[in-house]
Amino acid sequence: MKKVLSLVLALVLVMGVLAACGPKRDTEATADKPKETKKTEDVAKPDKLVVWVNNEDKQKQALQDIFDKYTEKTGIKVEAVPMDMLDQVKTLALDGPAGKGPDLFFQPHDRIGSIVLQGLADPVDLGDAKSDYVDTAIDAVTYDGKTYGAPLVVETYGTFYNKDLVDKAPETMDELMEIAKNQTDASKDKYGFLMEAANFYFSYPFFAANGGYVFKKDNGTYDVNDIGLNNDGAKKGGELIGSWFKNGYIPVEVNPDIMNGLFTKGNTAVVITGPWNIATYKDALGDKLGTATLPKIDGKVPQSFVGVKSWMLSSYSKNKEWATDLMKFVTNQENSLHYFEVAGEMPANKAALEDDKVKSDKLIAAFAEQVKYGEPMPSAPEMQQVWEPINNALSFIAKGQPVDEVLDEAVQTIKDNIASSK
Amino acid sequence: MSSQINMSTQKPVNINRHNPALAMILSILFAGLGQLYNKRFVKGIILIIVEVSFILTLGNFINYGLWGIRTLGTIPVVDHSIFLMIYGLISIIILAFAITLYIFNVIDAKRTAEKIRRGAKIPGFKESLRNTWDKGFPYIFVTPGLIMLLFIVVLPILFTVSLAFTNYNLYNSPPRKLLDWVGLENFHKLLTIGVWKETFLSVFTWTIVWTIVATTLQIALGLFLALLVNDPRIKFKRLIRTVLILPWAVPAFVTILIFAAMFNDKFGTINRNLLSIFHLNIAWLQDPFWTKIALIMIQTWLGFPFVFALFTGVLQSISKDWYEAADVDGGSRLQKFRFITMPHIFYATAPLLIMQYAGNFNNFNIIYLFNQGGPAVRGQNGAGGTDILISWVYNLTFNINQYNMAAAVSIILGIIVCAFAFFQFRRTRSFKEEGNI
Repeated sequence: MKKVLSLVLALVLVMGVLAACGPKRDTEATADKPKETKKTEDVAKPDKLVVWVNNEDKQKQALQDIFDKYTEKTGIKVEAVPMDMLDQVKTLALDGPAGKGPDLFFQPHDRIGSIVLQGLADPVDLGDAKSDYVDTAIDAVTYDGKTYGAPLVVETYGTFYNKDLVDKAPETMDELMEIAKNQTDASKDKYGFLMEAANFYFSYPFFAANGGYVFKKDNGTYDVNDIGLNNDGAKKGGELIGSWFKNGYIPVEVNPDIMNGLFTKGNTAVVITGPWNIATYKDALGDKLGTATLPKIDGKVPQSFVGVKSWMLSSYSKNKEWATDLMKFVTNQENSLHYFEVAGEMPANKAALEDDKVKSDKLIAAFAEQVKYGEPMPSAPEMQQVWEPINNALSFIAKGQPVDEVLDEAVQTIKDNIASSK
Repeated sequence: MSSQINMSTQKPVNINRHNPALAMILSILFAGLGQLYNKRFVKGIILIIVEVSFILTLGNFINYGLWGIRTLGTIPVVDHSIFLMIYGLISIIILAFAITLYIFNVIDAKRTAEKIRRGAKIPGFKESLRNTWDKGFPYIFVTPGLIMLLFIVVLPILFTVSLAFTNYNLYNSPPRKLLDWVGLENFHKLLTIGVWKETFLSVFTWTIVWTIVATTLQIALGLFLALLVNDPRIKFKRLIRTVLILPWAVPAFVTILIFAAMFNDKFGTINRNLLSIFHLNIAWLQDPFWTKIALIMIQTWLGFPFVFALFTGVLQSISKDWYEAADVDGGSRLQKFRFITMPHIFYATAPLLIMQYAGNFNNFNIIYLFNQGGPAVRGQNGAGGTDILISWVYNLTFNINQYNMAAAVSIILGIIVCAFAFFQFRRTRSFKEEGNI
């Protein structure tokens, strides 16, 4: 009897599940409709805008000043919610649909691809202001031909040198190799030149200088099937990097801690790394510290990866016009300069980057210069599949394995991974 | 049949007419109807009110939830598959409660009807209430906890399990896209497609080796030291014990990071200051084999203090008489250890030792902090030479956003740990109830 009973009930449940019907909705109305662009003047002012800002004291302070100015100018309150930059996307994916999301959020540009894939951000119309930003920065926030957000900060790496050990920055790769040859004495922990060569982020320029590329880019769109990391140029770059390890200029075991330690102790003449190290290096070396763009290869400054941090417009925002207005305001010349002075990050605004305040800071000026030669890190979501295989390949190269094979294998793995993850 | 009843009871007609099957059917149709038929009016009305209010308040939610978990949404952006999945799971849990109550209602109607038919005296409302309170007391108090447990422990597990059967990854993530149920496809991929299969097998093998070797070593070392320190001839016991507990006192992640620096092939102190005396230079971080050795040594060092403390405690409790008796019988040192010490120690501590194995099986910290699962191995995809399953799951989730595959691997992990725990717990005495030892 019990069995029959439970059977009957199970049946009722299954029927219930199958019979359960969805909410009645008008499919037409909710389907993707073309968004009209309106001008801010035509739209009523909202009471407030919500902005997620990176949870870092100096950055929060700088932005608060700028937001206060905006409230003064327009009467719109700006509520800044601090949240770690890297957590914002995850949170937005849940908060946005629930209606608790922000109007603007702050992201590094290389995540744009995956943000767009998840449908979290809307393209923005920067209008005339578009030409106010550094070309590389606009390039970086362009995805599928559309502009996603207003860039605030640009970031790239360059050369640091110790003026005690070298008179002037190495201008060409040959000069740098000369320094490495003369000054490296591994048994005494003395090095002419160090960098995280097994980290693709820093090694990219040496691939690119010879004609390597990650994804072929045409008119702002990446062709993810065309990977240029095992073409002749890339292999030439790989050989160059391999030769540093083979000649003993750079030890295989180098990591950021060791590199920073050796450089600040004055045991290293030249390192290639980013401006985030300026503060530490300056504390240790004082006036002996110099910076420069990357040393030239074949007479040209190689392209470094440029990272851009930008404001993005949440697709759940109800005040898109004013939110766009706010992001343009935050990134205008005056305000991005203020942000540079307080938070210390290089402005993406062209006029601000050329400003004396940036140029007179000799250490920063070299990085501002390098940005011009740089190219944005690919923002295609497939980039996620690139990092690990190529970093592994670099570590194999460092261990002296054949560059040819290793790069071919890496590209094959990247292709497999892209294919298998779709 | 009816004549028999007629002879044996006083009110034959009334009893005969009462039909348990009818009571049952009425209760299935709507909770409480059977009770009304049984003339238990108060109970029946309460049940009817409960069911009506349940349908009114939760009916829509459950309907929406069940629809959601079945379809995972139909219109992208408007429907959020993840939300729908959670609504669905909650609906199922609530529904399970409701169905349990419903079954009780039906059984109650039937039983009461049978009793009436047999002519038994049915307790009045007050009396039956008191009966329920007396008999159901423990259940009534356990229920709130059980409900909490379901939502805090079971719901997240169900969610992970569900994810493993969807196609949730970077290229297919809500709110822009909808998820679909894909059945066992992820597991199928894991076991058949080249990249996944090879990596899964090599990671899995190392996980097993790591669990067994590292844990056994830490237990063996703990046992050895505990026996040594417990020997009556040893002086300064307290000091020695304190020193041996020290590795436990430093937070593991600090220790691991320091070890990572010490093991650096070129700049670390182990190669530079210790092994250089013997003209050795071992590639601790660059060669997968040596990285594994280093990890096992570090884990042994990190893990033995706990085992040592545990065993020391148990050793104190073994009565001296046993050993004296063994001495009288002429038992050797080894025999005393084998037949007195060992059984005592292991019977008392087996469950905790099993937890050590389970803990190392999922010991994410040490693998990740020491070398991020590195060094890289040629031909292996997404996992380095020392990645164990859990650190591979981390990689899948956070580096390449393969949520569905990560969930599938997690399920496999969960099943292994459960099986492990289940069989071992069954075999150890500590978990048998008194009297069954």
